[in-house]
Amino acid sequence: MSDKKRFNKPGSLQPNIEDILQWNDLPADAFDPATSEEKENFIQDRRSVSYWKDAWRRLRKNTVAMVALVIIILLSVFAFVGPSVVPYTYKQQIRGSESLHPWHYSLEDQDKINAYMEEHNGAGNLTPDEAVEQARQEAEAKGETLSRVDEAKIRAKATVSQQSADEEAVTEEEAAKVLGIKHSIFGYSNKELERKAAGEKVFPHVFGTDDQGRDIMVRVMVGSRVSIIVGICAAILVLIIGALYGSISGYCGGMVDNVMQRIVEIIYSIPEMLIILLLSATLKPALEQFQNSGDGVFQKLVTLLGPNLISMFIAFGLLYWVTMSRIIRGQILQLKQQEYVTAARALGAKGGRIIGKHLLPNCIGQIVTTTFLQIPSAIFLESFLSFLGVGVSAPLTSLGSMCSEALSGLKTYPYRLFIPAVILSVMILSLNLFGDGLRDALDPKLKK
Amino acid sequence: MTKYTVRRVCMAFVTLLLVACITFFLMNAIPGNPWLSEKTPSEATIQALNAKYGLDQPKYIQLGKYLKNLAQGDFGTSIKMQKNRPVIEIIKEMFPVSAKVGSLALLWAVIVGVPLGCLAAFKRGTWVDSFLRVLCTIGISMPGFVVATLLLHTLCGGIEGVKVFPALFDGTPASYVLPCAALGFYPMCYLSRQTRTAMLDSINQEYIKTARAKGLKNSKIIFKHALRNALIPVITYLGPQIAFTLCGGLVVETVFSIPGLGRYFVQAIQNRDYPLIMGTTIFLAAFIIVMNLVVDLCYKLVDPRINLVKGGN
Repeated sequence: MSDKKRFNKPGSLQPNIEDILQWNDLPADAFDPATSEEKENFIQDRRSVSYWKDAWRRLRKNTVAMVALVIIILLSVFAFVGPSVVPYTYKQQIRGSESLHPWHYSLEDQDKINAYMEEHNGAGNLTPDEAVEQARQEAEAKGETLSRVDEAKIRAKATVSQQSADEEAVTEEEAAKVLGIKHSIFGYSNKELERKAAGEKVFPHVFGTDDQGRDIMVRVMVGSRVSIIVGICAAILVLIIGALYGSISGYCGGMVDNVMQRIVEIIYSIPEMLIILLLSATLKPALEQFQNSGDGVFQKLVTLLGPNLISMFIAFGLLYWVTMSRIIRGQILQLKQQEYVTAARALGAKGGRIIGKHLLPNCIGQIVTTTFLQIPSAIFLESFLSFLGVGVSAPLTSLGSMCSEALSGLKTYPYRLFIPAVILSVMILSLNLFGDGLRDALDPKLKK
Repeated sequence: MTKYTVRRVCMAFVTLLLVACITFFLMNAIPGNPWLSEKTPSEATIQALNAKYGLDQPKYIQLGKYLKNLAQGDFGTSIKMQKNRPVIEIIKEMFPVSAKVGSLALLWAVIVGVPLGCLAAFKRGTWVDSFLRVLCTIGISMPGFVVATLLLHTLCGGIEGVKVFPALFDGTPASYVLPCAALGFYPMCYLSRQTRTAMLDSINQEYIKTARAKGLKNSKIIFKHALRNALIPVITYLGPQIAFTLCGGLVVETVFSIPGLGRYFVQAIQNRDYPLIMGTTIFLAAFIIVMNLVVDLCYKLVDPRINLVKGGN
């Protein structure tokens, strides 16, 4: 395939005849009349293929999209099943396991390292007082007394040497390097190592823990779950508003369409980032108030999802539906000229039925693709807001807020930033790639 | 053309009015008031302060007064962050920094992104194309703060011995490099994707074949015929992109502690400094709307085939 493309220079005058040349390469037996058995097979081969089956068939051929799909599924399992496998919860502060790295040294190795560090950091470095005391003892042994000037000299010398020793102090990592000890993966606190040695089963902190002793892996899982939920809910909201608005605008046409399109134009030119920032700052406390106001179904729903999540996808849904509505309007404007719509109208079908039964199902491809492409952009926005501190609030976490928390200790704990950042990027990347694949698969222009 | 321009300008004013109203009601709906600080002021103090700044009046009167002042160019004065300083002065101080970072970022995005897109289109199907496609897809999938923090970590002393750029923004040319790189990365990738698609469309057109048939040089075909038409969608994209770069600057400004308008806007929301929120929103909105308008009008100049009046959007 790639060879062919190399021959086919873009814009070249020569027609692409590679395919046509192969048309004539028919085997001699291709001209025999078909037997009745073959005819039967032929009929079976031509079984009708539904729209989705056809799309799936084309999608399956797209390797990139399929890899992306597998990654999406893995991430979803990680986000939704993961937290129930790990025995820690995202807000549980485990005492004695604060600030663990995602690696550990076994207990024996730790003893060795500590011994090494003591040996190298402790020897020859007396505190000023100790140095003076030592010198005095030496002087007394010789039968002399130590003058105050001498004392001060010794004190100053000891202070200087101690300072330089502090600078050159052997760290844990250097000690381990010198001793040739390699750290093992996963973080364990000393207590947990002891329990493990005693034969208990201890679940490791795969990604380490944060300053408050919370397991980072569980927090990443919950964060990805938040991202996925926000993405899907926002996309559904956009779908509902956009489909309703777009189909009414397109179907009614005339004055209604004109007014509705002016509104869309205005919303399009509103700087969305600013309004979304304001909206999420406004909605969150308002929803919290609503949540505590009573015990109805809606209040329970708010409690279930969390006010900050709801405020986020409302903010998203309120401004992002315009793209969807424009796509659906454009489709409906074309479709409503078709004969079957006229037929339906002649049979007395009402506008709502024509839209719901005849028009929308006919632009399902565009709807699905646009809805799906909303998911990564919602996740993008959520992480952006959380990073700025107006998104998800504690104790709930999200990938964006984890990244912003990690900024303060970036030098010592770079992986606290990298892990959520990489997962977030991979998630958005695979969603984008799969969305592109979906677009290609559902595009009738690319249909063979 | 004139009719279209007039209509668009009218729409711009309506939009601006709407933005002002939305902002006003949204920010008043945020619980809390600007007077809360470490020590809670007494009820009487709050009332006196509200009376002083006119916050005790009904909301619609406040809004009307504000709009009246705005029409005369008065953005009001800050009531919390920089007490009693006119908002317009604060904007004058902060906006140039944001604009400088934003425009530099956009500049490098265009300078690098468009040629990369052309390259990918001309090397279509080769490893160059695949590589660029992967790079650009990764680029548009990485949130701005990830790029910014990664750059901050790797080039500002996070790795032993590597400290090329200052971590804190101090206005020197070196401190502009990383924020601009981080801010321009996404638009660069997006632009190059756009250019690639547009270029592929354009080089398969008949007039390119004609140009080739009459024996034009390859470079002339690319630059004179293909690129000029391919740039049209790129220009459309630039309008919203200016908005994105200015507002997306929020994150980069936070990460690199740049004293820009975006960061100040977030702080103003957190501090409930009402006039400052209103002022910055309206200023940025007006800027973005004007930019969009300019780009749309340019669109018509670049591509005479487009009938703006009929097509609308």
